[in-house]
Amino acid sequence: MLSIAIPIAFALVGTAFTLTLWRLLIGPSVPDRILALDTLAVNAIALLVLFGIAQDSAVYFEAAILIALMGFVGTVALCKYLLRGDIIE
Amino acid sequence: MNLLLCVITPFLGAALVAAVARLGTWQAAAAAAGVTLAAGAWLAPLVGGTFQGTTLIERYTWMPREGLDLTFRLDGFGLLFALMILGIGLLVILYARWYFSPQDRLGRFYTGMMLFMGSMLGVVLSENLIQLLIFWELTSLSSFLLISYWQQRTEARQGARMALTVTGMGGLALLGGILLLGQITGSYDLSVVLAAGDQVRAHPLYLPTLLLILLGAFTKSAQFPFHFWLPNAMAAPTPVSAYLHSATMVKAGVFLLARLFPTLSGTPEWTWIVSLTGLTTLLIGAVFALFKHDLKGLLAYSTISHLGLITLLFGLGTPLAALAGVFHIINHATFKASLFMAAGIIDHETGTRDMRRINGMWGVMPYTATLAMVAAAAMAGVPLFNGFLSKEMFFTETLGTVAQLRFGWLLPLTAIVAGIFAVAYSLRFIHDVFFNGAPIDLPRTPHEPSRWMRLPVEVLVALCLLVGMLPALTVEPLLAIAARGVLQGPLPPHSIAIWHGFTPALWMSLIALTGGVLVYEGRRPLFALAARLEGRLEARRPYDWLVAGVFGVARWVTVRLDLASLQRMLFLFVLSALALGMAGFWSAPMPLTGAGPLLPFDPVSLLVALGLAACTASVVVLHRSRLIALILLGAVGLIVSLIFAKFSAPDLALTQLSVEVVTIVLLLLALYFLPQSTPAESSRPRQVRDLLLALAAGGGNAALAWAVLTRPAESIADWFLTHSLPGGGGANVVNVILVDFRGFDTLGEITVLALAGLGIYAMLDGLRLPAPAADAQGRAWDPDAHPLIMASLVRLLLPLALLVAVYILLRGHQLPGGGFIAGLVTAVALIMQYLANGVAWTRARLPANLHPLIAAGLLIATMTGLGSLALGYPFLTSSFVHFHWALVGDFELASAMAFDLGVYLVVVGATLLILIHLGLVHDLSRPPAEEPR
Amino acid sequence: MIELLTSILILTGALFTFIGALGLVRLKDFYCRLHGPTKATTLGVGSLLLASSLWFSTRGTGLSLHELLVTLFLFITAPVSAHLLAKAALHLRLKSLAPAPESETSGT
Repeated sequence: MLSIAIPIAFALVGTAFTLTLWRLLIGPSVPDRILALDTLAVNAIALLVLFGIAQDSAVYFEAAILIALMGFVGTVALCKYLLRGDIIE
Repeated sequence: MNLLLCVITPFLGAALVAAVARLGTWQAAAAAAGVTLAAGAWLAPLVGGTFQGTTLIERYTWMPREGLDLTFRLDGFGLLFALMILGIGLLVILYARWYFSPQDRLGRFYTGMMLFMGSMLGVVLSENLIQLLIFWELTSLSSFLLISYWQQRTEARQGARMALTVTGMGGLALLGGILLLGQITGSYDLSVVLAAGDQVRAHPLYLPTLLLILLGAFTKSAQFPFHFWLPNAMAAPTPVSAYLHSATMVKAGVFLLARLFPTLSGTPEWTWIVSLTGLTTLLIGAVFALFKHDLKGLLAYSTISHLGLITLLFGLGTPLAALAGVFHIINHATFKASLFMAAGIIDHETGTRDMRRINGMWGVMPYTATLAMVAAAAMAGVPLFNGFLSKEMFFTETLGTVAQLRFGWLLPLTAIVAGIFAVAYSLRFIHDVFFNGAPIDLPRTPHEPSRWMRLPVEVLVALCLLVGMLPALTVEPLLAIAARGVLQGPLPPHSIAIWHGFTPALWMSLIALTGGVLVYEGRRPLFALAARLEGRLEARRPYDWLVAGVFGVARWVTVRLDLASLQRMLFLFVLSALALGMAGFWSAPMPLTGAGPLLPFDPVSLLVALGLAACTASVVVLHRSRLIALILLGAVGLIVSLIFAKFSAPDLALTQLSVEVVTIVLLLLALYFLPQSTPAESSRPRQVRDLLLALAAGGGNAALAWAVLTRPAESIADWFLTHSLPGGGGANVVNVILVDFRGFDTLGEITVLALAGLGIYAMLDGLRLPAPAADAQGRAWDPDAHPLIMASLVRLLLPLALLVAVYILLRGHQLPGGGFIAGLVTAVALIMQYLANGVAWTRARLPANLHPLIAAGLLIATMTGLGSLALGYPFLTSSFVHFHWALVGDFELASAMAFDLGVYLVVVGATLLILIHLGLVHDLSRPPAEEPR
Repeated sequence: MIELLTSILILTGALFTFIGALGLVRLKDFYCRLHGPTKATTLGVGSLLLASSLWFSTRGTGLSLHELLVTLFLFITAPVSAHLLAKAALHLRLKSLAPAPESETSGT
């Protein structure tokens, strides 16, 4: 059962990853790119979770947690830069 | 243990003095004196044994495989020097308390002096020659700090640099000599080297060894032609001159001559080189001293002359001459230190050191004048004062050579001439300063100095008199053991007394005294001649020429290598890397693909790799818009960490992720002040050229990676994998390498990180930069500094993020994680609060001063390392115990985890320190009209 | 049974992730595009994490709750990111297909 679901999921998430990358590269606006970067991070979490289930290994979770944390901080810092220029004030 | 403690005490004391000096000048002086006394106290119980003739050797294993031990040695000669260093040091500490004005920072002087004292004690108490050299270099460095004490003065900086250059070069030569000596004798231990004299002298490498060692000794002791640094070092404060340039540092050179006397002396080479150098220095120093109008300049050249005299005595090579040399070391230290102090008093009271202006001081300060007269008489070699005794021994020894050498009669003749000039300049020091009419245009109105400033001079002058009149009762026992330490054998029969009858030496003394008076009487034509020759005979001319030449060559090379264009440097760098790589590929034709098995192909990895390439290419294309390039770099970092995670490098993935976001924050902080886009600068053909080069180099790199990865590799990884758990108590090899196998590297790295953080803090402190009031398109900034949704929700994240950090820290030794990653995660979690809630809000809730955090981290890491030392293991050996805890289960508790905690604290502290202070630069720079609401 | 449930959750999650990315690429203006990732993708990843939690909790090594931490994280941060991005877009006056709600649009 899982052996069918996982390849399909990989295909879907992989496509999502590619689409998001596409948005990141074409923009057109800066917020578009930030949004794409944020989404890319979430997609990366999805990929890692799938890897974890597929290989039956829990070793990817720390990376997933850190991606969640770091992706968010990056998004906040970039948005704050657009809004205020000054990110630590 | 005592010798080690004696040497270490001043070094530790330097920190104590620096800390105490904030309380006041008295406290600083008291602390410095206390440290000196403490160092002496460690030595005190050993003095009795040394007087009975035992040589004490203390040995601590240090680097046994390299034949390096921490070894100390105390014999009579070392004891004599240690006593001089500590005794005169104590007097100088007292003197300096009054010498410096309230504006001068005494703490810095005393700290430098403690460092110097420790280094000097290390030189004279070392048994291992390499160790001696290390302390020798430390004396050069600490004396640099002392000479340049008034660092705002040009001549102080120049003098210090010159002294460091000359003695540093000598130190390098000495290292070569010591290494050769170690090769010849098979040991760096002084005891072995001293006993191997015949072997050394017969060895074919004897001459190079001798020359290199002499180069070290002569530069340190300001022997001709290296003497010029000493007068230039007179830009130092007078207490420094009194300490370094009379009693200690310049004596290190003659100390070395004496120390290696049994090994190196007794050959014609030794006799000729050493005695000729000494003789030349003796004469030149004495003649030049007379013509110096600067008080300290006169004393400096006189010191050079006396050092030449001591060198000459050791050069003569007879046991009696060596004994006289040791005796003169003692006498010179006492009278010269007191003369420097007297010169300092005069300088302090009159505000000048020019003897043409200072006259008639007898009427103002008769007491100081009397003290100076006694000391100067000792320097001139007048009977009843200590200088007379050693000088008479010197005259006797020069007469001894008349029969042995061709032109031997030249030696006593030159000695007499030098003696005449010594009398003349001593006379000038007294007559010109204290008599000779009225003072001319003095900057200050002089009077007798404070009682305490005179006390050190009184002590030294009393010693001059006591030794001069009652030599057998005072100096004889110490001199005997010191000379026995030099000769490493029985003493020759000798008698130190004032009256030996009308010997030839006495006649020589009398000629020198009479001649000196006559020369001083006829000084006017001589001074006129000297004024005409002024500057032409300066030995620093060739030095300046040499230094300018070295700088010229360096500049020539730099100008030709450094093109002052990063693009061109990178072009050349990549081009040569490419050429070398291609040469490697072509010179050894081998299949590109190796025999190793290939990993199975999977489409997701391919997709991710293509994404990485696309992102990187876009960065190149879009790099002119800096913000977009930064966003794309963020994606590159994310994908790289995904690849790390996929290919079994979880620690690397975690580190990459944390570093990535810190980098983004850092660059955004900097981008605020920078142009938002890069102008196009390269022409089209150049872009094409760079593109082709980049493609070739990148392709070459890829081919290399392919070639390496497809070959079966044998690496040291297996060793780490097998030893990690049994040796380091951790299953996470990466972490065990960081905190255990390579713990020392990590300690160095976190130290660098802490220093970088502090350095950046210091540079940013108070910095203001022009800040944009609107963004690149001219829109005003959004007025809402901290949107409410962000501010309140991010507060919720803090405990979650900290939980993650603690989790990563604690499990780091067994599973992916560790102090470095946890530190970055914590820093990011806290930075998040600064981002979302502002500096004011966060500072109200968290300690704003991060320096203690960094200090605590370094301290914990170092103490963990020292802890294993205390248990008898080498530094930073980790120990671990296996625990069973109900509910939690089995786990190991390793001391390396404490070390990791130190790493964690330093990383948190340094990262936050850098980012927050960069952020604070923004607040300072923000135009006042646009205050954040 | 567990496997079936896990598979369904995985497929749901992957589908939502895909739909989010599709929205990010296909929709016409930034304000529309913002909807895709912030809603669909977040839900999709949440579903995948749930699948992972379920799968590892039934492997005999005890409850697996890391996933819940990641989920909690994402569910707190997603609205903040969306809010800030919308604010930034408004600040930059990005073109919108729909008329802006306030009177500011009268000029365009």
